[in-house]
Amino acid sequence: MLDRDGGLLRGTLDVLILKALSWGPRHGYAVAEWIKIVTDEELLVEEGPLYTALHRLEKNGWLVAEWGYSENNRRAKYYQLSRTGRQQLRAEVTSWERYSRAVGKALGAADPLTT
Amino acid sequence: MPLAKRWAQQIRSLPERRYPMRRVFRIPFSARVEREVDDELAFHLEMRTQRLIAAGMPPDVARREALRQFGDIASVRQDCVTMDEQRERATRRAFEMAEFQQDLVYALRTLRRNVGFTAVVVFALALGIGANTAIFTLINAVMVRTIPVADPGALVAIGNPVRVSSLSQGGPRTDLLSYPLYKDLRDKNHVFTGLLATGRTGRLDVRIDGNSELEHPQGRFVSGNYFAVLGVKPVVGRAFTEADDDVIGNAPIAVISHGYWTRRFHNDHAVVGRQIVVNGARVTIVGVMPPRFTGEIVGADRDVWLPLSLQHAVQPNQRMLDDRLSSFLLALGRLKPGATIEQARQEVTALIRESVVANAVGSSGKDFLASSPTYFVSDGSKGFSRVRTTFQAPLFTLMIGVALLLCIICANVANLLLARSIARGREMAVRLALGANRARLVRQLLTEGLILAALGGATGLLVAWWGSHALVALGGGSSTGLDLGMDLWVLVFTLGVCCASVLLFGLVPALRASRVDLATTMRANAHSVSGGALGHRGQRAPLGRLLIAGQVALSVVLLVGAGMLVRSLRHIEKTDLGMDRDHLVILDVDARGRGYVGPRTGALARSLRERLSAIPGVAAVAYSMNGIFSGSESQTTVQVPGFTPRTPNDSVINFDEVGPGYFNTIGGHMLDGRDMASSDEGNLARVAVVNEALAKFYFPGQRAVGRSFSFADSVSIQIIGVAADTREHSLSGVPTRRAYFPYVHRDTMVGLPGSLHFEIRTRGEPTAVVQAIRAAVVSVDPALPIDGLDPVVSLLRQSLGAERLLARLATGFGALALLLAAIGLYGVMTYAITRRTGEIGLRVALGARRADVINLVLADALRVVAAGVVVGLPLAIATARLLRSQLHGVETVDPLSIAAAIAVLSASAIVAVLMPALRASRVSPIVALRTD
Repeated sequence: MLDRDGGLLRGTLDVLILKALSWGPRHGYAVAEWIKIVTDEELLVEEGPLYTALHRLEKNGWLVAEWGYSENNRRAKYYQLSRTGRQQLRAEVTSWERYSRAVGKALGAADPLTT
Repeated sequence: MPLAKRWAQQIRSLPERRYPMRRVFRIPFSARVEREVDDELAFHLEMRTQRLIAAGMPPDVARREALRQFGDIASVRQDCVTMDEQRERATRRAFEMAEFQQDLVYALRTLRRNVGFTAVVVFALALGIGANTAIFTLINAVMVRTIPVADPGALVAIGNPVRVSSLSQGGPRTDLLSYPLYKDLRDKNHVFTGLLATGRTGRLDVRIDGNSELEHPQGRFVSGNYFAVLGVKPVVGRAFTEADDDVIGNAPIAVISHGYWTRRFHNDHAVVGRQIVVNGARVTIVGVMPPRFTGEIVGADRDVWLPLSLQHAVQPNQRMLDDRLSSFLLALGRLKPGATIEQARQEVTALIRESVVANAVGSSGKDFLASSPTYFVSDGSKGFSRVRTTFQAPLFTLMIGVALLLCIICANVANLLLARSIARGREMAVRLALGANRARLVRQLLTEGLILAALGGATGLLVAWWGSHALVALGGGSSTGLDLGMDLWVLVFTLGVCCASVLLFGLVPALRASRVDLATTMRANAHSVSGGALGHRGQRAPLGRLLIAGQVALSVVLLVGAGMLVRSLRHIEKTDLGMDRDHLVILDVDARGRGYVGPRTGALARSLRERLSAIPGVAAVAYSMNGIFSGSESQTTVQVPGFTPRTPNDSVINFDEVGPGYFNTIGGHMLDGRDMASSDEGNLARVAVVNEALAKFYFPGQRAVGRSFSFADSVSIQIIGVAADTREHSLSGVPTRRAYFPYVHRDTMVGLPGSLHFEIRTRGEPTAVVQAIRAAVVSVDPALPIDGLDPVVSLLRQSLGAERLLARLATGFGALALLLAAIGLYGVMTYAITRRTGEIGLRVALGARRADVINLVLADALRVVAAGVVVGLPLAIATARLLRSQLHGVETVDPLSIAAAIAVLSASAIVAVLMPALRASRVSPIVALRTD
């Protein structure tokens, strides 16, 4: 859900990050770019909170981090999913799909159904 | 400068807005964590900037835009750093936990492999820790614990808590209450929700219904509100109520204790309603108290509680409930919420004053108040206790003793561990070679020490339980009156002692063991001549010797202390009593209990005296009220014309009432005038013999014979003789002022003599006539109860119970310390000799004789002992200074004790190293040198 400023609420940001890393390790900048591209720039992710979220997820144990070298040979911190992170992602995706289906059903209802 | 670095610098320079205090409490990895966060964020900003530059923005605009797009970089950096630090901390903690678990498992395995060693160490530690816990349990039970009642902190004690079995006749007192005075306090106070009173019952002759055998349970008179004020509820039946105290004699009931219920009634619930006969009066049991409740007196057993209203029925010859001059009660009041003990003191003082003045006869009230008495009003949470004052100093002395013992035991254990760590040198070397750091090794060895201490502590608790009960029994007390159970403080104390032990015995060996020189240890042979003689870094196992020296020092303290206590005891025992103590037997009969009253007591005394004098082997017989070392003493206040008292205490004298020929019988010495004679007895007796102390105090420089003094009711007493000071009740202190009145006299002075003691002087051994004395009593009155029949020497010994226990225990500790030091010395010397085998072989090869080798070893051992003595002597003197109050007739620097201690230590040291020395002397030089 979007809040007033068009940004993202914390829970959604977390699941996006997890998804972003589901194909392999990436650094924070790459995650930010992925989210921008994949949502066609509809979701505005503030970069600051993104890093806060990355560190929080690492503290929770869903991500593990390693220092490596980027494409242009700069030192960068690469994040990847841990086993619990993958489980968390699966759980979140399932509940998100259930949620959006339910809301979609409500919003697509043709019948007032007043009792 | 590369872009990233510039960014990093810029980020690091941001102010720490939210957590300024972090700069002060920098955690070690904080620098690294911050640097990593900075680098990460810098990387991101650089990528963004590049992108913008590639899109056509000029570099500085691009940088600003990148920063703007990021957001509030300072707070993000803060949050990231905080979270990373938390993460690092959690990881580290988990890692340390895993390491500790590893250490634990490994330590347990190691200890299990050497079961013998572990058992010895655990046993030794159990002894040391257990002894400390035992003493602490006693201190806790006697001095710290509160009585097992509801909210003890709100209780206020009125009366002197030591006087639990006192009875005073003759006037209002500050340390005891009479029953009418108690009632005044109870009814007129505004500061207590309830005020209870308790008093002694004396010996109770009880017959349980249906059983004709006489018993003597421990009883106590209590007010009707006793159980209510204390907040204790019965487990069977009911407790007393205020109504039970209303009218004298209307409540012939009793409440019994749980212990008595189990012992005598076998937990039979039908005990309620059973009748018992107490001193001839029929009494019904109405309730049983819960277990562990033995009343308000610490250290005294309790079987039966009787309401105060029953006092006249139970003690018909000593009715005290209406008598303002008989004080035998102590009181406990529960403060109203918000009231303080100071308010209680003020109100109690005012009420007592008021009551005394209102009810005084003649001028006694004004005299009493003029002496400005201070009343005993104190905190009541710990109840009353006679043992507290007796055993306070000895217990603290014992505490020092067992602490020293524990240090010695820890030194021994440390030596044992050191010896073993040498054997484990290879193991340590391998671990170091494989990459462990020293701290890890030390931690692992400390874990072993911790397990040993934990096992020792757990076993020590058992030792403590047994030990504290044994100590109480040795001290002559009953352990049911003391709560020797474990409570939080005891556990905390034991834990503390365990930790201290680990530090004492574990740290040094652990540090030593981990300091292993890899090269020399890995080499197969470590017994080369040079290696053996020089050891690590050219020293001869200095640590072991240091520990032994320390043990010797502590043993010196214990031995000297024991010596001084023993000498002090001897000194007290030999104190001149001023009488013929070796030929005196004291007979204590319960005349009043049997029904003798007034002139009949006098007749009994005379006839018994006749019969006893006729026994062959008896030289003389006298009778008195208070006996000698019989546990009772009397005091009164007097007025001496021409003498102005400076303090209230100046008017107080002790006194006794004696029959004719008293001083001659006991072997006392008359300094002036004459002894008590039969002509002094009778209704018009107005004479007294006084002791030297009294004469010198009230009539300094004058002849006391012929002078007179008077009592409260203005009866004038003439002094007919002055006797040399005798010690009839206490061995320590200065002899008190004492007057001796005739036993048979008119009952106006201080009330009827209740007790009757006979002083029997024998020609030969006192024990030889004991049977004949008993027979004589039976022949005069077969039903007269004999409360005591002992020679004065054994009464003396009983009165010194605490001192004797202390001396015995101190000697035991000293002996134990000696044994431990000797064992330690033996071990260290054996080891040292083994290492020096090569050197000894060399010496022998170069011409040393057997005697020379023995001397070498002995000299070495004595050097260690000497070092210990040098350190221990000042410690011993300092400890002696602490114990000053316990030492009678012994200087703090007692050459005899010190010389004896040193002699004993040296002798033990020589005995300890004799074997190793002999073995060393038999070393064959060929065998010794071959190992090189």
